[in-house]
Amino acid sequence: MDDPLGIIEARDLWYTYPNAPEPALRSLDVTVEEGEFILLTGPSGCGKTTFCRCLNGLIPHFYGGEMRGEVEVAGLSTRDHPPTELAQHVGLIFQNPDNQIFALTVEKDVAFGLENLGVDKDRMVEAVDWAMDVTGISGLRSRATHELSGGQKQRLAIASILAMRPRIVVLDEPTSFLDPVGAERIFDVLDTLNREYRMTVILIEHRVDLAVRYVDRVIVFADAEVLNDGTPTEVFTAESTRLSGVGIPRIVELSGRLSRRGVAMERPALSADAFIEEMERRLPQAGMNPPDMRSTPAPEVNAEEGGNSPILEVDGVSYAYPSGVQALRDVSLTIHRGEFVAVMGENGAGKTTLVKHFNGLLRPQSGRVVVGGVDVSGVSVATMARKVGLVFQNPDDQLFSENVEEEISFALRNFGFGGDVIEKRVDWALNLLDIERYRRSSPFILSGGERKRVALASVLAWDPEVVVLDEPTIGQDYAQKERLRHFLMQLRAQGKTTIIVTHDVEFVAECRPRVVLMAGGEIIADGPAERIMTDMDALKRASVSPPEIAKVFHGLSRLGLPPGIMDMDESAEILSRWLGGAAP
Amino acid sequence: MSILEGLRFSQGSSPVHRLDPRVKFFMTMVIFVTAVLFMDLIPLLVILLAQVPIVLAGRIGREWAKTLRGGLFFAVVIFATNIISFYFFRGRQLTSEMVEFALTLTIRFIALITSFSIFFLTTSPDELSLALDKARVPYEFNFAFITAIRFVPVIADEAQSIMDAQRSRGLELDKGSFLSRIRKYIPILLPLIINSIRRSLELAEAMESRAFGASRRRTSLYELRMGWMDGVVLAASTAALAASVYIRFFTPGFGPVLPSFSLL
Repeated sequence: MDDPLGIIEARDLWYTYPNAPEPALRSLDVTVEEGEFILLTGPSGCGKTTFCRCLNGLIPHFYGGEMRGEVEVAGLSTRDHPPTELAQHVGLIFQNPDNQIFALTVEKDVAFGLENLGVDKDRMVEAVDWAMDVTGISGLRSRATHELSGGQKQRLAIASILAMRPRIVVLDEPTSFLDPVGAERIFDVLDTLNREYRMTVILIEHRVDLAVRYVDRVIVFADAEVLNDGTPTEVFTAESTRLSGVGIPRIVELSGRLSRRGVAMERPALSADAFIEEMERRLPQAGMNPPDMRSTPAPEVNAEEGGNSPILEVDGVSYAYPSGVQALRDVSLTIHRGEFVAVMGENGAGKTTLVKHFNGLLRPQSGRVVVGGVDVSGVSVATMARKVGLVFQNPDDQLFSENVEEEISFALRNFGFGGDVIEKRVDWALNLLDIERYRRSSPFILSGGERKRVALASVLAWDPEVVVLDEPTIGQDYAQKERLRHFLMQLRAQGKTTIIVTHDVEFVAECRPRVVLMAGGEIIADGPAERIMTDMDALKRASVSPPEIAKVFHGLSRLGLPPGIMDMDESAEILSRWLGGAAP
Repeated sequence: MSILEGLRFSQGSSPVHRLDPRVKFFMTMVIFVTAVLFMDLIPLLVILLAQVPIVLAGRIGREWAKTLRGGLFFAVVIFATNIISFYFFRGRQLTSEMVEFALTLTIRFIALITSFSIFFLTTSPDELSLALDKARVPYEFNFAFITAIRFVPVIADEAQSIMDAQRSRGLELDKGSFLSRIRKYIPILLPLIINSIRRSLELAEAMESRAFGASRRRTSLYELRMGWMDGVVLAASTAALAASVYIRFFTPGFGPVLPSFSLL
């Protein structure tokens, strides 16, 4: 097939879902050349996912609705060819790996598409072997699919699509549920496909810091339209991109701030490594050994935050799941009133297991957990939950009421609050999370970010002494994360003890909590974010990649710059003074 | 339901695991038929004991023990109800025949669960689906069967997360009257159902993306092939069936085994 046009051609594409008042895509014109690696980004609900569905014919064949304009993929009009046929040219990979695995063993799942196409056995075996090899799951060939880790499952989902040998792969937030290490492996696989097999890759991703290193073109969607389209540097330095609420890669942001201080970058860097190289090239211009680099001494936050009394004490706790997995090994931790703590580590490090001990969902097999002076082991979950409010990762695992008001009062009724108190508390929580207008709406019609806020409100309503949020940033776009960060700062200012469980390093770098770093069921480091998030050895042991700016300063420390810096403002200040830029 | 626990497939590469699922199914059916055929203690004991080498060859001793432990309750119920009903309906006395009969029924039950246990413990659902396919069961049913098995652990995990979330919001499942306890499961069942509906939509999208239903002539990565072991087992099962029928219908049969006694 030798098409004169691009491998994907969308011309004046409009689409409206059935019964939707507004179009989800408006007058889209996108041409993709074969072999491009494209990052598609934009705020939640901007039409990215809808666009992906147009590429393999799910729209209009599966979703119905009203489609105007033309989409051609590999020379085939998506209007005339059903998804089952387009599947051989364009492979779609979705966010949740569990919902795209159909077989019980790994290799059987990889073969599923080929079986459906009626490919004969010899060719099938060859394609399956190749797909497993490229994605690095050959060793898992005969494993049961439900035993795999999240990252392995997502690589399996990719292998299953690759086995059909499409020329284009489209991935819709494939790394949302993965930790940074798992995500990086996915990106490496995509990089190989693009470079070695000249596959066209379209990636929807909120992790722009990581993704931007691999792609050669960025398209930003906003409000059902294409806002910007160009090279990563062009797009991410455009003012309109910033204003649309899309996350800007930290390194691009840092370069931008430097140029505003009069230090222009010769070559725009997209990764920490490229940035370090660029700085090293400038070495001769820079002052020899800049004295007194730090504008302000880093505030060494005492772990005991003003000598407050402890609210949560974990003493020598070990826990093994019935399956035999040892999730916690002799963990000890003290958290004081009013502290803001982030528990970090890769998936399976024991983070969630640890916080489930805080309200008695799990009972320590040895050691003890004391909350506000009460030993958890002798008390019911309901009693402990009154003191420690746990907000879980997925709001859909808890929402069930007719309307938001009911949802929020559920726990209050369980705890036996009186009618007028419940009313007041519900009002308070609705206001706190800015969801007053949804009071009478069903929680199920709300967007993902709004559902998350309802879940949070339903816990904060009873004003627990300690609030624990499990992976609050997962699946959230940049604007939603910013909003969450402001909210957490507010809680902190009120003196509420807050604990977040997360593997979102950039979020932690911006919130600057006390960081408890876990690996293999143990706490391997504990201290202020400034120290832990710049401690390369500890981070490496925990398989947590450092924040971008910390990487830059770690790399530049051999040039005499102070290591241990991770703040955007501070780093821009230091670098511009070092490079002799003008004050802003 | 620990009795079901003992029926869950456990991966392995024993000779029993490697048997063709159709042959294994035939073997299981032979055991089933012969166990139903006889009503005497000795042949049923033979049927039970004959399965022990198969269990050992399949290296599923531990799982089998789990099945037996799960089935123990039912075995006791079968034995006790027989004894009790004999006692009350046959003139308030207990003879050796009655005890032997109750014992026979119990042994039959154990022999039956053992045969099913062997089949399900050593046959992967993938193989089962291939066998169904060979039996000309439409692929849609086959796919539904595999999908159901595939999502059992996923939904179990999800149910656990929902339970954790609601208990963290003060839901106490084990408090209150019977009716109010049932009502307390609503906050757990509703999210589970709604998530399943969402999931089914996502699954449908993913199926389309994997060309589900593209070709009428589906192929398969795994194929069933009979080996010499399958021939041996097939022949042995057929011989056992023939012998059982002969013994049951063309020989005088077995007398009572227990020494005769009579209790009040």
